[in-house]
Amino acid sequence: MSGAAIRLSRVRARYPGAKQPAVDGVDLDLQPGEFVALVGASGSGKSTLLRTINRLVPIESGRIELDGSDVMELDPVTLRRGIGYAIQAVGLFAHMNVAQNVAVVPSLLRWDRTRIAERVDEMLELVRLDPLRYRYRRPSELSGGEAQRVGVARALAAEPRVLLMDEPFGALDAIVRRALQRELHGIVRAAETTTLFVTHDVREAQRLADRIVVMRDGRIEPPESEFARELFSDA
Amino acid sequence: MNHTRARAIAAFASYCALPACASSAAVVVGSKNFTESIVIAELYALALERAGMRVLRRLNLGSTQITMAAMARGQIDIYPEYTGTALIDVLHHAPIRNPAQSYAYVRDVFARTYGITWLDRSPMNDSQGLATTQTIARRYHLRTLSDLAPIASRLRLATIPEFTTRPDGLPGLQRLYGGFHFASVRTYDISLKYEALLHGEADVATAFTTDGAIATEHLVVLKDDKHLWPAYNVAPLVRTPTLQRVPRIGPVLDALSPKITNAAAQAMNAQVESEDRDPADVAAAFLDTAS
Amino acid sequence: MNYLIEHPARVALLAGAHLALVAAALACALAIALPVGFALARSERASRAVLALLGALYTVPSLALLALLVQALGLGPAPIFVALVAYAQFVLVRNVLAGVHAVDPGQRDAAIGVGMSPLQRALRVELPQALPIVIGGVRIAGVAMIALATLGGYVGAGGLGSLIFMGFTLHHTDEIVAGSVAVCALAIALDAALRLAERLARAH
Repeated sequence: MSGAAIRLSRVRARYPGAKQPAVDGVDLDLQPGEFVALVGASGSGKSTLLRTINRLVPIESGRIELDGSDVMELDPVTLRRGIGYAIQAVGLFAHMNVAQNVAVVPSLLRWDRTRIAERVDEMLELVRLDPLRYRYRRPSELSGGEAQRVGVARALAAEPRVLLMDEPFGALDAIVRRALQRELHGIVRAAETTTLFVTHDVREAQRLADRIVVMRDGRIEPPESEFARELFSDA
Repeated sequence: MNHTRARAIAAFASYCALPACASSAAVVVGSKNFTESIVIAELYALALERAGMRVLRRLNLGSTQITMAAMARGQIDIYPEYTGTALIDVLHHAPIRNPAQSYAYVRDVFARTYGITWLDRSPMNDSQGLATTQTIARRYHLRTLSDLAPIASRLRLATIPEFTTRPDGLPGLQRLYGGFHFASVRTYDISLKYEALLHGEADVATAFTTDGAIATEHLVVLKDDKHLWPAYNVAPLVRTPTLQRVPRIGPVLDALSPKITNAAAQAMNAQVESEDRDPADVAAAFLDTAS
Repeated sequence: MNYLIEHPARVALLAGAHLALVAAALACALAIALPVGFALARSERASRAVLALLGALYTVPSLALLALLVQALGLGPAPIFVALVAYAQFVLVRNVLAGVHAVDPGQRDAAIGVGMSPLQRALRVELPQALPIVIGGVRIAGVAMIALATLGGYVGAGGLGSLIFMGFTLHHTDEIVAGSVAVCALAIALDAALRLAERLARAH
């Protein structure tokens, strides 16, 4: 199954008590299988925008559609199981080992045990972690970089149609980072997963994305704007 | 299987027994929360067991009100009760001086109103009384309750909660004898009745006339010269449905009852309280010698 | 101490019955406190109101509550069982709440993010992580219940309380001492066992 189309229309989102909305009227279309990078400074609203799509952040106004269906009308639990979500802070479950963490969504989707076990090994190898050594480790026994890699493995494990990522490679050194960027690129291409990838690193964006979108102060900057052009010229 | 083991298992089984379980085969013997009630209940229970019946014990339950409630609920089938207590405390009837008439009356009413059968009564008469030390009796020249009535205002009474409200308790004394307005009235748990008196914190204590402590502590029980207190003969109370289900209970306990005299009761009470013996052992020893 | 030496089997049987009563009441109390605690964790106001109510219940003298329950349920293990379950709620609900609130918000967020339903979040993430604090509450409540259950002897519920109260009635100090020593021993044993469980839970 290929990726879903995502359409955001005039989406506005505000944190409780905040004077300014974090996302201030955003229109954005992602074609099925498209890889879009979202770049901008911290506070630009890119992370918040990402989280409106899987309904982790409620929207104040506007509309978000997945393959034409309003996400507000879909069951949020089912919605999130179909979306791979990997963030910089990772959020690995501290009381589960690495294998259990990676297997979380497939287990929620009731895949049979053999399939889950194979998939876990597959995903760990993908992120360059030897399954034999890492399967039974606890998150507390992982380095920051290893944890992030497990987070990516977890996001991809259930073959999601949509992938939302927020600085997932932040803690990795340059070599591993490049390797994972290449792996990620290969996977989402092959699976045609629609991907929205938040990063502050313009070069990473250029390497991975079909299209780069710039955000500033909760809004999308047109690509011809001075701000955007300055951003790309530094890259 | 020795007595202690049997007691232990019975105790554990009693814990598990629910009314529904009790009706399946075993007979449940209960008692109130003082030594004599427990000893006599053990006598009943042992006699029934020796006659081949399965018995569960739920002893030390509480006051008359509690044991009657337990009977009504079917949580116990048998327990020892006193004619005087039943007449005055349960039925709220005026005292009947003739012991046989008193017994006949309560037997009749209980059968009709509560579905409870009174089996034969024992000769022992555990009446209520007021007791004091020999020293105090000598100092104030106390031999009868009439002697005590006018000077009660100089003395402190130690008693149990039931006594202050029962019609045949303190209110009854005040009505029949006049006086009896003690300088202070303090209530204690039934097992501590004599402690205050023996420790000098009270001058007069409520007594039951077959209490072992009377003999062992050489207490003086004042004579009820105006006969406030009628007879308190003990008899087994049995739930009528239980008696119909297990009729043998009747003959077995009727054979035992004549043997329970005042002397026997006092001796057994003293053995339990002063000699620290197990009520079941004391009861068993009595049954062995009395048969 | 003579009684303990002369009747070890009897005391052991009564101790077993006592422990069984407390264990059953603890299990029942936890079965109530867990869902209640989880439900309350969503609302600060509801939490405060319910905890105040449970605190008030906790201060009702146990003998008074027991007397009321005997009126309703008769003698036997039933009234003391209900009293134990009721009194345990204050400690258990408070600890379940504390345990749930102690869960890192990032963990909860991640659980939502991967698509767990509220029940799955509670069972697969929040409860396992709240477990050490919950077990701590079970330990505190359990030890209190070992002591409280002695009142069962007063209402024909058996257990070590019946030994203590029988000793009281018969003026047999030995039995009072034996019963009390056994209650203490049970309490210490339960405390030690649950401390171990708490430590094991924390290791995860």
